[in-house]
Amino acid sequence: MKILVTDDSRVMRQIVIRTLRQAGYDDHDIIQAADGREAFDLVAAEAPDLVLSDWNMPEMSGIECLEALRASGSQVPFGFVTSEGSPEMREKAANAGALFLIAKPFTEDTFRDALDGVLS
Amino acid sequence: MTLSRAQPITQLLDAETVQNIADEVWPSLVGDGEAFVPVPVAPPAEVLSAWVTISGPWNGAVVLTCAPATAEALTESVLMTRPPTVVDDEDVADALGELANVLGGNIKSVLPGPSALGLPQIGTAPATGRLDDVRRLDGQWRGQSLTITVQGATGAPHTDRNEVPQP
Repeated sequence: MKILVTDDSRVMRQIVIRTLRQAGYDDHDIIQAADGREAFDLVAAEAPDLVLSDWNMPEMSGIECLEALRASGSQVPFGFVTSEGSPEMREKAANAGALFLIAKPFTEDTFRDALDGVLS
Repeated sequence: MTLSRAQPITQLLDAETVQNIADEVWPSLVGDGEAFVPVPVAPPAEVLSAWVTISGPWNGAVVLTCAPATAEALTESVLMTRPPTVVDDEDVADALGELANVLGGNIKSVLPGPSALGLPQIGTAPATGRLDDVRRLDGQWRGQSLTITVQGATGAPHTDRNEVPQP
């Protein structure tokens, strides 16, 4: 399985990848993108099994990336990992086709709860 | 378009809420057993700040301020680096900015909405506005001074009706 981790912060990508490993997803291939535009292109080029994306990013935000993916016909499983988890954002994410929204700060248990159904 | 009457941050956010958010952020991002301790120590002579802006019914910024050496140590802890690996300025800006971003995102979620969070910035903190529009927590991490400031934008109107941007 291949997971695309998208965040404009290299530090946060590293933390997300570390948490994935701590949550037991250490046998998956991890690829990275620094914004929504790069993630959109990598979905076409690399066909990941799951996209984990920040919301607030330069160039193209996470929600714009998800909307662009769905508009292009891609049904790649998509979840947000973001510093904001308001009910409005969760609703907007769900309406756009996201499977889950993990709010930062998170723990390995948060990741397991969100990802187990997707990656099992 | 929503219209809302803005209140100063001292009426919207108490220190306990900010501390509770920091209590969740530190173990998750800085490391197991790490904490922002709300006991002030002497402020450093030289400081570095990272912040994110919040734009909505309340306008301002969430600012994290510490000495450059503390910012470097925080970065090493966030990245779990060990000697001889050293962190560079870009890592420090990224790590401190992401700490401010996560603090800001969580503080935004307890303020009136809808509002938008800006991207992290680093450098000299923006000037504070009205005195009653500042919620400041002076504390420490590993004995070094660290301050979390939630401050209104300079000149931000508080008594006029404001247009609220869409999230």
